[in-house]
Amino acid sequence: MSRSSICTRFAVWTALVLTFAAAAPAQSLHLPAHEKVVLKNGLTVLLLEKRGVPIVSFVALVKSGATADPVGQEGLASITAGLLRKGTKSRTAQQFAADLDFIGGEFSADAGEDYTKVSAEFLAKDLGRGLDLFSDALLHPVFPQEEADKLLRQSLDGIKAAKDEAQSVLTAYYDGYLFGAHPYARPAGGDEVSLERIRREAIARFYETHYAPGNTILTVAGDFSAAEMRKRLEESLGGWAAKAVPAAALPAAAPAKGRRLLLVDKPDSTQTFFAIGNVGIARTDPDRTAIRLINAIFGGRFTSLLNEELRVESGLTYGAVSYFDSRKAPGPFLMFSYTQNATTAPAMDKALEVLRKLHKDGVTKEQLDSARTYIKGQFPPTIETSMQLANLIATNEFHGLTDSEVNELEARLDAVTPETARQVIAKHFPLENLVFVLIGKAAEIRPAVEKYAAQRDARAIAEPGFWPPPAGGATAPK
Amino acid sequence: MKKSMVSRALLFVVAVAALSGAARAQEFPVATRTLKNGMKVLVQPDHSIPNVSLYIFYRIGSRNERPGTTGLSHFFEHMMFNGAKKYGPGELDKVMEANGGSNNAYTTRDVTVYQDWFPRSALGLIFDIEADRIRDLSFDPEKIKSERGVVASERRTSVDANNFGVLDEQLWATAFLAHPYQWPVVGWMSDIEHWTMEDLKQHFAMGYSPSNATMVVTGDVTPEEIFGLCEKTIEPIPAHAPPPAVTTAEPEQPGERRVVVHKYAQLPVLMIGYHVPQTSSADYYALTVLRTVLASGESSRLYQRLVDKDQLALDVSMMQEPAFDATLAVIVAQPKQGAEPAAVEKAVYEELERTKSGLISDQELEKAKNIQLVRFYQQMRTINGRANTIGTYEVFFGDYKKLFDAAKNFAAVTKEDVQRAARTYFGANNRTVATLVPEAEEKAKP
Repeated sequence: MSRSSICTRFAVWTALVLTFAAAAPAQSLHLPAHEKVVLKNGLTVLLLEKRGVPIVSFVALVKSGATADPVGQEGLASITAGLLRKGTKSRTAQQFAADLDFIGGEFSADAGEDYTKVSAEFLAKDLGRGLDLFSDALLHPVFPQEEADKLLRQSLDGIKAAKDEAQSVLTAYYDGYLFGAHPYARPAGGDEVSLERIRREAIARFYETHYAPGNTILTVAGDFSAAEMRKRLEESLGGWAAKAVPAAALPAAAPAKGRRLLLVDKPDSTQTFFAIGNVGIARTDPDRTAIRLINAIFGGRFTSLLNEELRVESGLTYGAVSYFDSRKAPGPFLMFSYTQNATTAPAMDKALEVLRKLHKDGVTKEQLDSARTYIKGQFPPTIETSMQLANLIATNEFHGLTDSEVNELEARLDAVTPETARQVIAKHFPLENLVFVLIGKAAEIRPAVEKYAAQRDARAIAEPGFWPPPAGGATAPK
Repeated sequence: MKKSMVSRALLFVVAVAALSGAARAQEFPVATRTLKNGMKVLVQPDHSIPNVSLYIFYRIGSRNERPGTTGLSHFFEHMMFNGAKKYGPGELDKVMEANGGSNNAYTTRDVTVYQDWFPRSALGLIFDIEADRIRDLSFDPEKIKSERGVVASERRTSVDANNFGVLDEQLWATAFLAHPYQWPVVGWMSDIEHWTMEDLKQHFAMGYSPSNATMVVTGDVTPEEIFGLCEKTIEPIPAHAPPPAVTTAEPEQPGERRVVVHKYAQLPVLMIGYHVPQTSSADYYALTVLRTVLASGESSRLYQRLVDKDQLALDVSMMQEPAFDATLAVIVAQPKQGAEPAAVEKAVYEELERTKSGLISDQELEKAKNIQLVRFYQQMRTINGRANTIGTYEVFFGDYKKLFDAAKNFAAVTKEDVQRAARTYFGANNRTVATLVPEAEEKAKP
């Protein structure tokens, strides 16, 4: 965390950085060759050999995530994932930790909105022991009551800890306030009320229902021979029994109409953290490359229009960004920044002015060329490691995207002109219809921000949940 | 894209890692040259991607500051992007990004580091930019004014809006009475508001001699072309006197120190700092093994005790950053709702006591060495990680070649060494305890 004594020139947000992870190449960039096999039980396996560094990376995507949480039990997919390593048929949680740490292995499991991701990394010399641990967690978790209780309590406290740092919960409030009745509104990590409701039985049931080979994509990348790896995977995962997983429909959320504003009161704030936006795009949107390019110009790099206006020219903030969090269904688009209490409205005014200018002026060929070169030049280091590659080909497979996402990116970027950009801006960047979420010291900033929307809502950050307030929220927490 | 403070800190901590017998890292060639003006240049070619990472480490940080201008090194770091003779205000970033490059920089108590990440095609441009700002930085009063606001915002985010940031600042201010590690890298707010143009110019004159810097270049380059570019652009820049030596040594701490922060919050935070020697000390390796046994992974002693068994804390970690001078090893724990920080503290001391009264097991020793090995590979597998690691060894250990000795040095650590390190450094008199006590809002304000 930021306990370090290190100060960087700019720090925006790890989460934001991740949403940019798949960008574009410099000179005819290609994804390294990889192969796809579907095992008899339906497990999709993608193998990518990458020699040179003696590490093997595993990524399993179980195609059920937080949107599969039962209403009122938000966080169930995430808790289920977190418990995979906390006791299996052959290991206690403590034994798993000891075996994993002894070989310096890494293991993580969590659920996002669309899928659950289980990933691990081991030295090539420890591949046998590593794969044994990975498959043990994926196939044989037993969800001990004591461990479930422990993790649920930790997660509950984790939400309180996160609420002590405004920046880390802003998107939870924003998603809730933006998406309303759509499943993307519900917090993937749960809240203070929903976590209290989750029982061991529900966890075991979630696992039984959703963790199935036919519902899973497994990617392995790194220092191994593909032929040998196929054999190893057949042995360790081929016996995973096939079963049908109920299909879940995920409709596209309708963009918000008009304007509304949620003010979350954090009384000790010296700064206001704000998000402004609307519903954005799905990962497979046909305009995704043009949007990535235009967003780089608008709020996706240091010299972006937003950062120029709010940081470089005016010194109002340490950073201002915008991004499209593209998901299976359209995810959020938002502009994000922070500024001291007294300059909250001036900073937000500037953000809105930059957005209006984007619509009014469009972007020039020169701006497009600069952003094209930037995206291409910054791309190669995003597919440098076996873990980066494993993640990229796994998520491409999940979304039904092909290697052309990388291999044709250059051409797709080059095809964007000021004219096509104008259409894309009009279609995808909001202008009048906007949702505002602010976390800050309400007593100081409320009068200045009331002008942004006729519909206004308010919460205290210590109140359980995000938005909408959970049912029974007044009584459930201890 | 933009690196967060979080990832930057992690990078730095794992930069210091080990090799052990069985699995040995590929030896990779590093070509070096010391320019006539004293700047040392290290080049590590790797053609696996068509990109380059370039780091310049200046041996100047907040330890070279004084009361009244704390935070100046960090502010200066920001000013290094705000215009020089050839590339005026705003132009550096615009030109770099238009050519496919990006940049960042970070400041610590000891060093100021500039980072460029770019496609090979931008190589000549990057050297032109770097030479321009080392030679001819300009000090535009308007830019100083707006950048002051940026840094103030950075401080509000990393300190005011972050309970760990608030407490960490108080911990160091309490643990150090004499040595300049006592003030925060970002600076006290009143200093941010008051430093002057003259302060900035003096800082540049003091710290930014080429002889006070080390450059590391990794990626799709050859040593010959880098040395050629250096001869043309960097070598003509004259050297001048380096910053005066920091001669103040922190006197031995004669007894435990405590500090309490009352703040609006939902959960408490506990930090315990112990004075330990500088990175180049011989005890570094034993201390690293001890930290790994205590706090690395869910099987570590502190995690098992505090988080898993007693369930007193949400999380626990232990950190020690590279440092030129005697520094702190810090244990950080977040007590759970309802858990008393005092109970967490007591459990920590009991675990530390066990490392003093008995020896760690063979298994724990081997585990710690394995963990360090994996961290080494993770750090060395990207051109960016390699540039940072080579530079860190060169600057903090005195020679990049120590990177290749790390294996030997970790292998040589015995259980007895670990016990001796615990007994030497983890005593009650040597510690500073900082606690953040959550308060309701009306009581929180002075």
